Amino acid sequence: MASFARSSLLRQTLATTRSPLLRQNVGVSQAVAFHASAKKQILPPLPQKLDGTMNDPVPVPQPHPSEGSYHWTFERAVCVGLIPLTIAPFAAGSLNPVMDAVLCSLLVAHSHVGFQAAIIDYFRPQRVPKFYSLCNWLLRAFTLTTAVGLYEFETNDVGVTEALRRVWNA
Amino acid sequence: MFSQKVAQQSLRRLAVQQPLSMQWSMMRASPAAMALGKGLQSRPATTASNTEDPTQILAKQRLNRPVSPHLAIYKPQIGWIGSSLHRITGVVLSGPLYLWATAYLFSPALGWHLESASMVAAMGALPVAAKIALKSILALPFTYHSLNGLRHLTWDLGRGLTNSAIIKSGWTVVGLSVATALGLAFI
Amino acid sequence: MASLRSTSRLFAASRPFFRPATFARSYATVEAGEPANASEPPAKMKSFKIYRWNPDTPSEKPTMQTYDLDLNKTGPMMLDALIRIKNEQDPTLTFRRSCREGICGSCAMNIDGVNTLACLCRIPTDTNTESRIYPLPHTYVVKDLVPDLTLFYKQYKSIKPYLQRDTPSPDGLEYRQSPEDRKKLDGLYECILCACCSTSCPSYWWNSEEYLGPAILLQSYRWLADSRDERTAERKAALDNSMSVYRCHTILNCTRTCPKGLNPGRAIAETKKMLASM
Repeated sequence: MASFARSSLLRQTLATTRSPLLRQNVGVSQAVAFHASAKKQILPPLPQKLDGTMNDPVPVPQPHPSEGSYHWTFERAVCVGLIPLTIAPFAAGSLNPVMDAVLCSLLVAHSHVGFQAAIIDYFRPQRVPKFYSLCNWLLRAFTLTTAVGLYEFETNDVGVTEALRRVWNA
Repeated sequence: MFSQKVAQQSLRRLAVQQPLSMQWSMMRASPAAMALGKGLQSRPATTASNTEDPTQILAKQRLNRPVSPHLAIYKPQIGWIGSSLHRITGVVLSGPLYLWATAYLFSPALGWHLESASMVAAMGALPVAAKIALKSILALPFTYHSLNGLRHLTWDLGRGLTNSAIIKSGWTVVGLSVATALGLAFI
Repeated sequence: MASLRSTSRLFAASRPFFRPATFARSYATVEAGEPANASEPPAKMKSFKIYRWNPDTPSEKPTMQTYDLDLNKTGPMMLDALIRIKNEQDPTLTFRRSCREGICGSCAMNIDGVNTLACLCRIPTDTNTESRIYPLPHTYVVKDLVPDLTLFYKQYKSIKPYLQRDTPSPDGLEYRQSPEDRKKLDGLYECILCACCSTSCPSYWWNSEEYLGPAILLQSYRWLADSRDERTAERKAALDNSMSVYRCHTILNCTRTCPKGLNPGRAIAETKKMLASM
């Protein structure tokens, strides 16, 4: 009983001593809201909300191997393929046009997957639905123009590795 | 029995909230009155029950909760700093590639000169110090991302996943990438 | 008789009237109770900065409150320091604790920037630097150092953490396992679900609603690796989407921080290998 009384009394005294401070704080924070504060978060999480009761499990998503295991295997295959294609130009100076084209397409695939992973990580459709789809469409458009641009460069110019070699040695 | 419980609860609430009305209700809720079953119907406090949905109390509290600090307070360790550098260097490499290739595609329409000959000429016109600086800025993300990529591929095979191996390989990649980037810059 | 009892309860309820009288019985601090000793070593005062937030005043922002303790009079572990602060300096300080020996996982928190169990974390003896104690990172705070782990447990439930079998055991007694198969579960079954690893994972910070996080994926692998479980295909299908497992980018904060010395990063890598070989 004693401890119970003590804690509740403490709470009472705290409440009375805090209340004027609290009022001041509210005023300050309202004033501060107009200033661009350095501590402002970029994408602060939303207030906590839980679906269902505490005893319901979270819903299990539908299996989607092309976004899951196949995607992962494809990504690793592209990475592994990039290793010899990255080393070869250092050994041989440059690549023949076919190898150069393979390198370009793997680079585009690798970049696309990498950007996509970043978009999925940071911009969830539940949080910023419009920005999420905007990013995705921008990425698709840029990947397309990049692929076509690289194709143009491969066919009309000297090829990516050869161009890089010339620029590096310029 | 149930009615007694109701009476007790409401009285207790009154005692806490309104000490003055307590005296009044204590007169009516004397043992004799309680025993006779009087004073139950006439008290207004019994009807003022809690109409709030009890499941919503916690849900409302949740809306006020702050999120504990994370990125700013976590100890800088080679593991996650290195991993974030991996993503940053990836964007630093792929971003310019995307911008340059797209610009090259539209350069005839825009009248820009992005073909290899003009790029070589532009690079050749730079002073030596600027050349080396530009080359290191380009080479460091490339070497780091490539070497750290090898580290990631090893992990995907399930190898090198102990704490000591992670820390060692992390610093090895940092050292090697700086060394190879400088080597590339001075070619 | 019943009515008499009800009145006695009534008086019990009205006892707040006498609160000031009972408050006079103040508790004694350790210092006050000890006899003055001339040969006592000099005080080793260390500062502890602790994250505070009170749900009763939700408009106030979380703050860091500093407490000073003499390390000579405090036990060796962070939990000892927290308990001493709560006993002697500030009874409003709120944290979870139970077993004080690293088996319940209640006192998981962020101490000096790393997630760990307060009961397994020694107080750094360097008295010049202050120790900073936060709740588990990127969790919704219930009060002070107490995070809300409801979503964590809901995710744990979603992976069906129990043996699923259709065929009865041959002898009708128990499901037998070879010593080699049993060995595969070492390093997995010891997990106490303290959530240190999950809340150290940046991927889990950004996507906790959909990504399961290291702790739950380690548990998931514990059932994938169990030779007695017969729903491996079903379990794999439940993970085969872009969010549940594949938000893991092998940052490996989980392995680095696990206070039990387990390796969630390796469990996730093995899960990915299993999924790829489907």
